[in-house]
Amino acid sequence: MTVASVIALAVLLLAVAVLALVLRPGRASTLEFYLAGRRVGVATNACAICGDYFSAASFLGVAAAVYVSGLDGVWYATGFAAGFVPVLLFVAAPLRRFGEFSIPDFLGRRLGSDRIRLIAVCVVQLIILSYLVPQAVGSGITWELLVGEGVLGLTPYATGVVLSTVAITALVVLGGMRGTTWTQAVQFLLLLAAFIWLAVAVLGSGFSYPDAVSELDSEPLANPEYAGGEWGLATEPNRLDSGESATFGEPGGRYGPFGQLTLMVTLVMGTAGLPHIMNRYFTSPTGTAARMTTVWVLGFASLFYTLAVLLGTASRSLIAKSVEGRPWLAELTVDGVLRVPEHAPLVLGRIYGGEAGLGFIAIGALIAVMSTIAGLLLASAASWGHDVYERHINPRASQRQAVWAGRGAVIVVAVFSAALALGLRPDSLTALFPSIVATMVTWAFALAGSALAPVFILAIWWRKTTSRGAGAGMITGAVTAIGMFASASLVTDQGVGEILLAPTIVAAPLATLVTVVVSLRTSTPKDLDRLWLRLHGTAADRRAARLARLTIAGVGESRRR
Amino acid sequence: MSKGSLPLAGAMVLAWGLVYLVTQRVPDPPLEVGVTVLIGVALTVALTIGYPSALRGPRKPRPPRQAGRHGRTIAAVGRSMPLRSGLTTEAAERAVALLHPLLGGDAVAITDQERVLAFVGPGSDHHTVGDAPQTESASRVLARGKTTVVRNKAKLGCPEPDCPLRSAVLAPLSIGKRVVGTLKVYRLDEVPPSRELVEGLAGILSLHLELAELDRERKLAVDARLDALRAQINPHFLFNTLNTIASKARTDPEEARRLLLRLSDFFRYAVRQEGQLVEFGQEYYFVRTYVSLEQARYGDRLNVRYDIDPQVLTANVPVLTVQPLVENAVKHGIADKVDGGTVSLKARVDPLTRTTSIRVADDGVGISQEVLDRVTSGDAANGGVGLSNISQRLEVLYGERYRLDIQSHDGGGTVVELQIPLR
Amino acid sequence: MRDTGAPSPLNDDDPQWVADIGDDYDMPADVDASFRTVRKVAVGHFVVFLAVVVGMPVLTLTVDWWSGGRLIGGMSPSFVMAAFGLYVFFFALAAAAATLSNGVEERMLGAQEREPADESDDA
Repeated sequence: MTVASVIALAVLLLAVAVLALVLRPGRASTLEFYLAGRRVGVATNACAICGDYFSAASFLGVAAAVYVSGLDGVWYATGFAAGFVPVLLFVAAPLRRFGEFSIPDFLGRRLGSDRIRLIAVCVVQLIILSYLVPQAVGSGITWELLVGEGVLGLTPYATGVVLSTVAITALVVLGGMRGTTWTQAVQFLLLLAAFIWLAVAVLGSGFSYPDAVSELDSEPLANPEYAGGEWGLATEPNRLDSGESATFGEPGGRYGPFGQLTLMVTLVMGTAGLPHIMNRYFTSPTGTAARMTTVWVLGFASLFYTLAVLLGTASRSLIAKSVEGRPWLAELTVDGVLRVPEHAPLVLGRIYGGEAGLGFIAIGALIAVMSTIAGLLLASAASWGHDVYERHINPRASQRQAVWAGRGAVIVVAVFSAALALGLRPDSLTALFPSIVATMVTWAFALAGSALAPVFILAIWWRKTTSRGAGAGMITGAVTAIGMFASASLVTDQGVGEILLAPTIVAAPLATLVTVVVSLRTSTPKDLDRLWLRLHGTAADRRAARLARLTIAGVGESRRR
Repeated sequence: MSKGSLPLAGAMVLAWGLVYLVTQRVPDPPLEVGVTVLIGVALTVALTIGYPSALRGPRKPRPPRQAGRHGRTIAAVGRSMPLRSGLTTEAAERAVALLHPLLGGDAVAITDQERVLAFVGPGSDHHTVGDAPQTESASRVLARGKTTVVRNKAKLGCPEPDCPLRSAVLAPLSIGKRVVGTLKVYRLDEVPPSRELVEGLAGILSLHLELAELDRERKLAVDARLDALRAQINPHFLFNTLNTIASKARTDPEEARRLLLRLSDFFRYAVRQEGQLVEFGQEYYFVRTYVSLEQARYGDRLNVRYDIDPQVLTANVPVLTVQPLVENAVKHGIADKVDGGTVSLKARVDPLTRTTSIRVADDGVGISQEVLDRVTSGDAANGGVGLSNISQRLEVLYGERYRLDIQSHDGGGTVVELQIPLR
Repeated sequence: MRDTGAPSPLNDDDPQWVADIGDDYDMPADVDASFRTVRKVAVGHFVVFLAVVVGMPVLTLTVDWWSGGRLIGGMSPSFVMAAFGLYVFFFALAAAAATLSNGVEERMLGAQEREPADESDDA
């Protein structure tokens, strides 16, 4: 097992490295940049955004959440996809048109304040960190199952965390400071291929989706629990209907009356504040293209999450039936139910494709992790190198110095996140959350949706937003969100706990309110009309489109000649 | 009313059918009746509210409409009738093909005053389309305007000796008292076809021709008014704009270049626009061009505020109606006000009553009754664009189905409201 | 895409390509107008989006049929919506909103499409 897996991993890492270094568009991009208003460019950028977005939380976490809680786990997938609707409606086009480097830069320019830029950098770094940790955890889990052995005296889990972090950090530091659009796009297509293969294999073996749901529904939902020194299955209580037990296809497996709503709001608002996703929009050729890119992203996300939910259901139904005659599977399960739900797609891959199948899915998972980590680290580097170093510490820094500052920041952030991931043991937390990876990502979404998204949307759509208002709003949102998380562990009441764990529904309106009130009490910048022309005017878009037409015409002519 | 409501009704039926299917037939157990009805009602409301956007569909710029040229009123219906669109070769051919079996003749022809427009039947080898009518009898009919029955070949007077045609009935086609052509029915023997039948059909065809003529005159009248409006483009506006550009040419050449291009856009639109109806989006572009030129002149004194529903942009409006309203607001409202003012343009579509409403308001000095009379009566002496011109064109296009209101108070601004049917 | 053999037909910042079109500037009033119209589109679509997203949990709590009925095989209406329906809805909503806002901006800002003959005049 290990030899094949290690070879597969080595090939993967090599392939990604080669992709990162070779496919990086060089000077050819003048033409490409201006041509990107066409479908190819939009689709490519959409794939790249998906590569950044679909992390371990989507690849392993969604299927795991469905595996554990059935219908209530599906809402993760729905929320992740739904998040792009507000992005499309409120953020994509104006953000691209304003055309700065990063979220802090955008806010700094829009509101004409350096202080707001620094506050935004802090919030962005917090979000990035809380997004990085679950990715590292995800890679640890994958390594544990794929290789099962540690290196240099580390546990298998720790090895996964350290290796993936080191590898991707090295890639980002050495290669991909500039556009990783192509690598991200290719990586996304790989993940999608992994899921499609698995779904086709599962459906091809005669698996019937509706029948599986009704079959699973016929008995109560039970998950492994470590009690009294040994593992046993414990029935999940129905959170909506006390006294009843939960079933797979009906709500109540995870959330009480408000849990589903708060989770949805958290995920929906959060996407608009994710720095590594928003940074991708700046590479879109025009605002119009940014909108169409988002439509494509939604299309891809819909396909991806439909498959993820299908696979989660399939693994719940099929793994229990497959334990017999598979000793390796028996080790991972308790009465036919996986102890670590994140293993679900991996185990399914092994059941249907043997070692190679496991390797393929594991590679998909690792790619998901790595592409997201790469995107996050780049966003982090951009905000340290550009927003902090270039603007505040050393305004006369050369390009080289800024790049090195970014690289340094990448290493620090990566080490920090790996350390946090090592401190967490997924096994011990499983009982607490449906899927530890998906849940932890929710924290990043909550922070982004509470602190950044409201301020962001107000800054784009409300002329009177001021820097003081935005600063107050951001701090309020962040503090409220973190405070509610922290107090969640102290509260035992399930209803209140649900809200505390997904605090956006409280924190975002609060942040909005504070921003509005403070903004109304301070005066707006004077050259607002000029900013507005940049933010909502299409003059630059039209110029880009015209240049693209001229370029195409020019190329056509030169070819004819 | 019917054109847009029918799809809506269809969508409702479909929605209720779907609700019934999804809640009552497919699932087990079926949903309770109360909730089903609730869902259906919610869907109905959503459909009705969402109707305007569904109505216009996704927006891709369509190629400019040509249809407007022919007038889009009754003519559209009449076009299927032969000769309804006038005495042309094509229409005559269709009419002849249609009439040939009805008339009991062997050959049927239609001519106008100079030439044969269509000929079907034996003898078509030398009675060719496009030639002058060869028979003497034809010229007689054209000259006198009376139906003629010819009973033998000699009287028919065909110059071709082998002509198989022996007898004929020739009836005049006339518009009013003017004879514009003939309908000829020939036979190969000496018994001519029924005179009454031919005369009656010629009468019907004449009626169609008369209607066609009326259409044409009506269109000409509208075109003439539009041309009059175009010719009225205020010379003061041109002078002022050119002066502004000239003065900016030194201080801000970039701005001057921009203005010059806008001015050229302005005239391009005013002169080149074809047809009576355009998308509101184009008319809005014309307004924007106009306003930006005026803003260059008035500077901060002239503010504009547009409030436009997304659905209006693709609605059809009569060409050159919105800009004159804005121009009046600028000229009569803002120009005389020392500290300037705001002109606001609001455009809405009401999907249920199927109307487009456009409201131009200013907070300027207002129009005194005397000036208001002059403006509405179309007196161009003061350089204003006559509202009467607009209302005359609207009258022709929409009959009674439009509204144009002006409210003005001395010192209290002016509001012009225009409502026209959608499409 | 990697067609770099031919000399690049234009330079990014070569001003001669930008000049002489006259369409490279937006008036503040125009931008304000299109901004407000696009905002209407966005808010309108967002309300629909929110109604559907919030409607899911509300239906779960109020209508038994929503989670108890069987629609396709063993799937409840709620499961069908979560597993497929909502994605289709999101995509349709997004596509509609994107084309509508792009169409609005195209019509409300910049010059209208000019006839090809004029294009050659200008160039």
